[in-house]
Amino acid sequence: MTMRCADCLPMIDALVDHELPPEEERELRAHIERCVDCARELALVVDVSRAAREGLVRHQAPDVLKARIRAAVSGATGASGANESAGEEPVARSRRRTYIRLAAAGVLIAAASSALTFAALRHGATESTESELLASHIRSLMPGHLTDVASTNQHQVKPWFNGRLDLSPTVPNLDSLGFPLLGGRLDYVAGRRVAAVVYGRRQHVINVYSWPATSHESPRAAAAQGYNMEEWQAGNIEYWAVSDLNRPELDEFITRFRDVSGR
Amino acid sequence: MREADGLAGREHPVGEMAQQDIERFERVVLPHLDDAYTLARYLLRDEHDAQDVVQDAVLRALRHFAGYREGDARAWLLAIVRNCCHTWQRRHRVDRIGLSLGDEVDAVASDAAGTDAAAIQRSERALLERAVAALPPEFREVIVLREVQDLSYREISDVVGVPIGTVMSRLARARRRLAVALGAGVKEAG
Repeated sequence: MTMRCADCLPMIDALVDHELPPEEERELRAHIERCVDCARELALVVDVSRAAREGLVRHQAPDVLKARIRAAVSGATGASGANESAGEEPVARSRRRTYIRLAAAGVLIAAASSALTFAALRHGATESTESELLASHIRSLMPGHLTDVASTNQHQVKPWFNGRLDLSPTVPNLDSLGFPLLGGRLDYVAGRRVAAVVYGRRQHVINVYSWPATSHESPRAAAAQGYNMEEWQAGNIEYWAVSDLNRPELDEFITRFRDVSGR
Repeated sequence: MREADGLAGREHPVGEMAQQDIERFERVVLPHLDDAYTLARYLLRDEHDAQDVVQDAVLRALRHFAGYREGDARAWLLAIVRNCCHTWQRRHRVDRIGLSLGDEVDAVASDAAGTDAAAIQRSERALLERAVAALPPEFREVIVLREVQDLSYREISDVVGVPIGTVMSRLARARRRLAVALGAGVKEAG
């Protein structure tokens, strides 16, 4: 190959990539017809390029990564709001009992679905708990914060909490029901260490918080900034499920969780 | 580098994002998460590192979204992912170029064995993945951006932050190296 042909090299790649201006392309093609070395070079670039295009893997981002990113992005307006205790966008909340009473009173059924925003029965202690849970949920979606123990095996997640908490959290296996276990972590909410057990649903993340109940409350539910949260108690343990999952699916999750675990 | 060109001085705290900006971000940028992850996988060669860096990069993109005017959102996101990969590698002092070829071969071969069915295809793909993984980073990134992501020279130039002429010569040399590794039997010219 002459020096002149060595200069052709990147041009041959540009030819294959359709990046040459028409004039230069014509000149180069005319040269290649007369030059065996450059013709062989062209064939080589075509082969390598085709092999790379056909053979190199186009990866798919894992669902859990997409879920974490989507949740973190959609929570971007709320990330700071959640830290301001009852600021301009207070966490709306309600008791499930309220729905029942409203419905029984013959109020528009439609109101029930959006009741969270105006049926706000406030009591100070839980307000900060819910704000903190929301902040914790959003924080958990930041890189590296979701789990301290990442495992899809309940028999690895549950023992991990031994010695770290004065409670052994409920970790039912819901994989076959479409809620794979992602892991667990220790968190700090409302002035106490709590267990957070993490489940997935397609591209969504569900945090199930639990700690010893301090008072008897009827089940609560709240929604804020695109997140849903629900509370229940069983066996002197208070549970909170928090997710960007829609309400019916979060309800389904809680039903499954309670059925399988007996809690 | 591009990071300084395109992103400096326009950072917005995430908490102040307007709802409509977030919705536009979700519509324009988030469809490219697979491409972002693919680039990070090839640059970092580790799926867990790639996940962390992609999440960092997307949130970084969100904070700088005001600096994105128009044009190809995919190339814009890939540029941020690419910069985050490089920053991550500097911070973690990772110099995997120094990895012995033997390690690469084993890692890539076992990786491919788990995903592909046909044995012949498996060995060919393993050879190719191995060859790409063994390329120096500046060659590997142009191969991935061109052959996997199908970016134009202009877009690659923007993502990598080098002139188009440099993109051309890197791509040409990267392909000759791949050809040698794939056993095409043609020596790299020059």
